[in-house]
Amino acid sequence: MRQTQIFGGSSHPVLVESICDWLGQKPGEVDLGKFSNGETSVQIRASIRNQDVFIVQSGSTKMNDSVIELLIMCSACKGGSAKSITAVMPYFPYNRQSKKKSHRGAITARMIANLLAIAGVDHVITLDLHANQMQGFFKCPVDNLVAEPLLARWIRHNIKGWENGVVVSKNPGGTKRVTSLADALKLNFGIVTTDRRQMNQPHQSMDFSLETDTPYYFDDEYEADVDNEVEQEDTKTADATQSEKLGQQPEGVGSEPTTPSRPSVNRKRTISNSARRRNQGTGSGIPSSPLSRSALPGNSPEDSPSLDALVKSQTEPAIPPSLEQDLTEEFTDERARDVTVGRLRHGHIVPEDYPSPAFSAVSGSNHGLGRQRGPQSENGDTDRYDPMTASFMSTVSSIRHDLAADNALGGSVDAAASSEEEEEDLRNPDLETTVTLVGNVRDRPVFIVDDIIDKAGSWIAAAETVVKRGGATKVYCVATHGLFGEDCLQEIEESECIDLVIVTNSFPIEAQVKARMKKLVQLDIAPLLSEAIRRNHYGENLSQLYMHLPD
Amino acid sequence: MATNSIKLLTGNSHPALAKAVADRLGIQLCKILVVQYSNQETSVTIGESVRDEDVFILQSTAPGDINDGLMELLIMINACKTASARRITAVIPNFFYARQDKKDKSRAPISAKLIANMLQTAGCNHVITMDLHASQIQGFFNVPVDNLYAEPSTLRWMRENLNVRDCVIVSPDAGGAKRATSIADGLDLSFALIHKERARPNEVSRMTLVGDVKGKTAVIVDDMADTCGTLVKAADVCIQNGAKDAMAIVTHGVLSGKAIEALNGSKLVKVVVTNTVPHEEKKMMCDKIETIDVSPTLAEACRRTHNGESVSFLFKHAPVD
Repeated sequence: MRQTQIFGGSSHPVLVESICDWLGQKPGEVDLGKFSNGETSVQIRASIRNQDVFIVQSGSTKMNDSVIELLIMCSACKGGSAKSITAVMPYFPYNRQSKKKSHRGAITARMIANLLAIAGVDHVITLDLHANQMQGFFKCPVDNLVAEPLLARWIRHNIKGWENGVVVSKNPGGTKRVTSLADALKLNFGIVTTDRRQMNQPHQSMDFSLETDTPYYFDDEYEADVDNEVEQEDTKTADATQSEKLGQQPEGVGSEPTTPSRPSVNRKRTISNSARRRNQGTGSGIPSSPLSRSALPGNSPEDSPSLDALVKSQTEPAIPPSLEQDLTEEFTDERARDVTVGRLRHGHIVPEDYPSPAFSAVSGSNHGLGRQRGPQSENGDTDRYDPMTASFMSTVSSIRHDLAADNALGGSVDAAASSEEEEEDLRNPDLETTVTLVGNVRDRPVFIVDDIIDKAGSWIAAAETVVKRGGATKVYCVATHGLFGEDCLQEIEESECIDLVIVTNSFPIEAQVKARMKKLVQLDIAPLLSEAIRRNHYGENLSQLYMHLPD
Repeated sequence: MATNSIKLLTGNSHPALAKAVADRLGIQLCKILVVQYSNQETSVTIGESVRDEDVFILQSTAPGDINDGLMELLIMINACKTASARRITAVIPNFFYARQDKKDKSRAPISAKLIANMLQTAGCNHVITMDLHASQIQGFFNVPVDNLYAEPSTLRWMRENLNVRDCVIVSPDAGGAKRATSIADGLDLSFALIHKERARPNEVSRMTLVGDVKGKTAVIVDDMADTCGTLVKAADVCIQNGAKDAMAIVTHGVLSGKAIEALNGSKLVKVVVTNTVPHEEKKMMCDKIETIDVSPTLAEACRRTHNGESVSFLFKHAPVD
């Protein structure tokens, strides 16, 4: 390309080299370094007057250095009279900090966007932003490329039996990403959701709800309003409509100890598109105890015992024949009715009879959940009930702080899925989380999909859930950005539940680390980026890059 | 009703100075959590309300982590801005990238200007800094900049600790002549200048002394001691020209790279720096280093800014401890 210079920052030289190969030109000459006091030094060697300048910079393990280096390079090109400056950022730094997380948190991604603007960037090319809305942070045009066609193509070509696979989201926030890939591959999808709840504490309220014999369900109004995040307070229309199992999500029950008939806000995150469709489809509900309703036995013969063990249901729900017929249909979203629950401690699935250390004295009531064994009735055991630890309010203030803040600030469900908080919870030894798998993955390979792999905890938890609880045959972790912080790769390598990790090379991984990892597949993103650069330079249409093209 | 009081925040770069300023102001440091995620992204959470408050954010340059410190500062400013602070003042004792203030080569970045723009973009309303490498950096900003001087504190330290009559002030380069003459005038001393030819940054070549240092203590004055190559060479030149001994007084003691070894092996008997940059560890390794505390000046500047009083008093006077 004439009148063009491509400069690479120091974060990802391999990718720069690869992009330049695809474009058939040499990277522009630039000296990058540091002064002895730690300040970044940039010296652009090649002339750039009146040229289109592309600066390729990803993140790195020195994230702030990468950001500042990019800014200084842009500023230097601006000062050197470049015609236009395009920042090519395969990984957009701080792209997860795109909302006010807690009170007085900074929206750092927006600030980075503004900083790029004042450094002189005229155009940004990036890849799979954490939230699409982030494009609105920029004043200049943004091309938010998608790696999905690349990933989908690789899956189609390299994974045997992908046609039977299920695409699974490891948190409700990533559902949109997952459904999109599922649609592209024409596969089913499922959701794994962990809820931050101490198993041993809220059973008080769970018993309570059982005693009142008021089943949980969404009424239709609620479902209709879910997208608007309306909190429906009114469930007195108990007998009006009954969805047979989503409503029983224990988190909703557990979070409101005093008012058992009130759905909590968080429940909406368990609703998938398919689940909603299904709920509307099957108006006739099964009124029974919430816990028993989570199991839908009869789908396949082996289902019943394992699910029974899982949820210790007291009554087997009667399944309408019509439902059973639905279940036998292949590749319908009806499958999403299969809900599996498991328990997580230290980020790993534990058997149902695993004791809850913090509350082992009455742990029998944890899963036994006898209707008559409410705390109010167990007079003999009341001394074991430490009101300070068992009080739900203490849980709210100490653990659910961030979540509460999200809701207080009107954080949307998509944005609220913060992996950092999730990871923290997984590592908290005193906290037991309940993990719920929506969707049937039995005897199928599973693709767990998200945009970023940073820490391994939630991936391993999700993988163990689909394997140990759901009965999946293989687990492939698919993500655009493989950041692999801390010991992430090592942990994944050691996890027996994960078979393969598929990422693009948008973020640099050290060569020697890569050589050690057998489960890692890195797809080259350079063709996509170089094509975007080329089309941008010639003013061509970019929309083909977003399409799934036939092979 | 907001009290509109001073809130002083600080990142991880120089907690000791922030503590000293807070103590001087008689306030507590604002609760704040500045951490790095596992992917090295900086995360800031401010632990108390700053709504409608007068926020001061002190952040210096910790050697080696300049960019981390800078991002911390920017994110803190941005967090305060989104949290509806009334005014945000960045207190930056040693300005970031202050030496990259001109386009000295083709296509060289003017990083200091970029930093100025970045601070304003993040939401900074006012900047307090000290001994800028070039006063012109003030012009990079569209917001008020108070460039404080360490000179009053330096003069007091010299009067208290040196036999002033026996000294001569030496500027190690032509650029610092103004600073040196100002100190020489303040103490009514004579003044000398070293002319040097610099080949590359942080590398010093030939030097010649202009002025008389014979039989006196040569006090070399500069705004920044980085690798200390200049100071060591200047001391050699002074001794060669008959000075009794040589010492250095420097505002920003960055002391990076091989500075400590250079100082230990040099003819300098003493290197006096202010505490604008953290250097406690280096002090352990080199007993020639002494510190002037400038936290009273910074605190007084914050107080005066907050109360809407004149700051120019501080250009000539150092607050009493």
